[in-house]
Amino acid sequence: MKPDFLKGVRFADLTWAGAGPFGTKIFSDFGADVVKIESSVRLDSVRTGGPFKDRVYGVNRSGYFASRNTRKKSVVLDLKTEAGRALVFDIIRQSDVISNNYGPGAMDRLGLGYEAVRAVKPDIIYLSMPMYGEDGPRAGMLGVGMTISAVSGLMWSTAYGPDDPVGPGTHYPDHAANPYHAAFAVLAALRYKRLTGKGMKIDLAQVESTINFIGTAFTYQAMTGENPPQGSNTSQEMAPHGIYRCKGEDSWCAITVDSDTAWRAMADLLGQPSLAASPDYATAPARIANRTALDAIVSAWTGDRPADEVAAMLRQAGIPAAGVANARYLIEKDAQLAARAYWQRVDHPELGRSLYASPPYRVDGERIELVRPPLLGEHTREVLSMLLGLKPDTLDQLETAGVFK
Amino acid sequence: MANDKETIQTSPYGGIRILDLTWRYGLYAGRLFADLGAEVIRIEPSGGRPNRTLSPEWQARAAFFNANKKSVTFDFSDPHTEEPLAALVASARVIFLERDGPLYDRLAQLRSDAPHAVITVISPYGVTGPLADAPASDLVLQAAGGIAWMSGRIDREPLALPFQQATMLGSIYAATVTAIALNHLEASGQGHLIDVSVQECIAHSLQNAVQVWDLEERVSIRGGEGTRDAAEDIFPCRDGFVFLSSPTRVGNSWNSLVAWMIEIGHPAGTFFSQDRWLDREWRTTNEAHAEFREVFTSFSTQFDKEELTRQAIARRIVMGPVNRVSDVIADPQLAYRDFFTHVEMEDGRRIRFPGAPYKLTPQVWATGRAPSLGEHNAMVKECI
Repeated sequence: MKPDFLKGVRFADLTWAGAGPFGTKIFSDFGADVVKIESSVRLDSVRTGGPFKDRVYGVNRSGYFASRNTRKKSVVLDLKTEAGRALVFDIIRQSDVISNNYGPGAMDRLGLGYEAVRAVKPDIIYLSMPMYGEDGPRAGMLGVGMTISAVSGLMWSTAYGPDDPVGPGTHYPDHAANPYHAAFAVLAALRYKRLTGKGMKIDLAQVESTINFIGTAFTYQAMTGENPPQGSNTSQEMAPHGIYRCKGEDSWCAITVDSDTAWRAMADLLGQPSLAASPDYATAPARIANRTALDAIVSAWTGDRPADEVAAMLRQAGIPAAGVANARYLIEKDAQLAARAYWQRVDHPELGRSLYASPPYRVDGERIELVRPPLLGEHTREVLSMLLGLKPDTLDQLETAGVFK
Repeated sequence: MANDKETIQTSPYGGIRILDLTWRYGLYAGRLFADLGAEVIRIEPSGGRPNRTLSPEWQARAAFFNANKKSVTFDFSDPHTEEPLAALVASARVIFLERDGPLYDRLAQLRSDAPHAVITVISPYGVTGPLADAPASDLVLQAAGGIAWMSGRIDREPLALPFQQATMLGSIYAATVTAIALNHLEASGQGHLIDVSVQECIAHSLQNAVQVWDLEERVSIRGGEGTRDAAEDIFPCRDGFVFLSSPTRVGNSWNSLVAWMIEIGHPAGTFFSQDRWLDREWRTTNEAHAEFREVFTSFSTQFDKEELTRQAIARRIVMGPVNRVSDVIADPQLAYRDFFTHVEMEDGRRIRFPGAPYKLTPQVWATGRAPSLGEHNAMVKECI
């Protein structure tokens, strides 16, 4: 389906890079009119970041940009010009939401601070998502997604063991916690506006949003007085619990034995049923205490078999297990994702028929069909004429004056 | 302010009743609605789930995920529960179900009993497909969804993310799509059935790895070998670690860093002023990584996290502390923003809680403690 659930909702969307546009994408995918206001003077960093179709650079060839901006409209305006800013205000007057993920003070410098926007649109929903908040002693800290992982405590705890932080290998907070907390807040604000006629200011400090995404670490600390133990593959509650080497190059299987019954089944699979009754391994506390020896036994067994075979055997026995999938595997070999038609190919003038992940659910039994992302400035004239009623000669004048860049 | 709902005139989800029958991957979805005014009622089996334990980990999860919800218990094997359960279902606008949880096996009946509700079903792999019934766990889903592959050291096994990220991802996607479906329900009267796959949620959050394979036929891999800049990593300092991101392409971070080293007369300044440090490609090599680590560490270990952070902010260097949980609690920025809140537990203890994930004006966010099992059983009678 190509849903129109959010038809009639309009965004003046000034977000860029990863986290902001990922949060507004869910609105365009469900039929909201998301007007992405961007500029060729300062290009969206994911337009220039790649990966690129055939590894050839181009502002319309980035798969990263494509994956964050489906079904949006692109309007290019030079916000350093007075005419450009005036047009943004005209778009805001027709919008429910203005969204940005610039650093502190940037919107004020553009003349687009909350009070200025509210003056022209009193019921605006105003979403900002600076890293650490608009002001305060560390508001000026510069960061990327990994910096947010570092500051929030996530990096410290993503580790093989004590005092040796490794951290997430991606800019993880940009890809889940922050875009989707932001989207949830905007959805709540839209309902609040329907109930009260009032707008809302949403100040999402990405560090605070990410802390909530590891919230149980904080309740653990509060309730025990201790920092949670480091070690993100291991468990304090069960063993075996880890990622084990399998046959083949860089091949791995995740296995979690969540009960003594499951352990007895696993001991049979290992061909060592006596381990089930052994005092060293019969109970979860014993297995946790003897984790190193236990992991060696499990690894010896998994090492002789391909990951998919290990996972299938364990699942058959009721034990949670899965091969550690990489992107290629998910796309080409994962039978579950294929059966649920998770991947979509969408035509695009420069990217060709390229691949997209569906929104991760089915609605009334159907997939949300994605619509291709916009070319840079593709909808400038369309939006300004249809939405603002500007005539062709006015548009020509603005273009000649260098406002559309 | 916690437990302060009465003072909120109108909250975004005031008047909305949500039944929460999740027990693992969907738990955080209801929490998000509860803190913005919805009445979220957990429906649990009498005596609780078999996995209910008293371990500190379990208690910390229950406190966080069930905060601000109500709890009602039913003996699902007792036919006398049918009537009160049906009354609750009829009064709900949203129902969160989860595989292996109560009523999951009665989905068809629920749909006919509640045609004007949003029913969101969260399951490890989705309700269809060959793995629909496969056993799962947080770690296993992080493997199956592709996020475990992305983290870790190249000479070690892949590394999962901590603190129930399968739950967080499953829940946050479930919450947002449910809010959209609720919006549509209220506009059109049309109920919806949403089938959320946690594996898909994870596969949806892999940065650009899907496109890297599709467009360039490269597999993104842990460690970032051959792609990550030498100056983008975790480095030790006097009292812990900092995370630095100073590739030459990121603003002025690199130049500022080298200028600081020169300013204080540290030999690293001269070392990093050599021309080869301007060669982006060379900077991704193992040789550059090893050299950078050795020389930068000789600099960074002269300072503590606090001083490095202060200098990074003043000099516009992309660098921040690798905080422990206890460091986060003491963070001056979070204190300035009055981020943390406190929740009074059943036994009267006040427990520090993460504050809102977003500051909203007007202030319509409030949380409260998790309910004890069956704490709100009396309200069921009122529903009938």
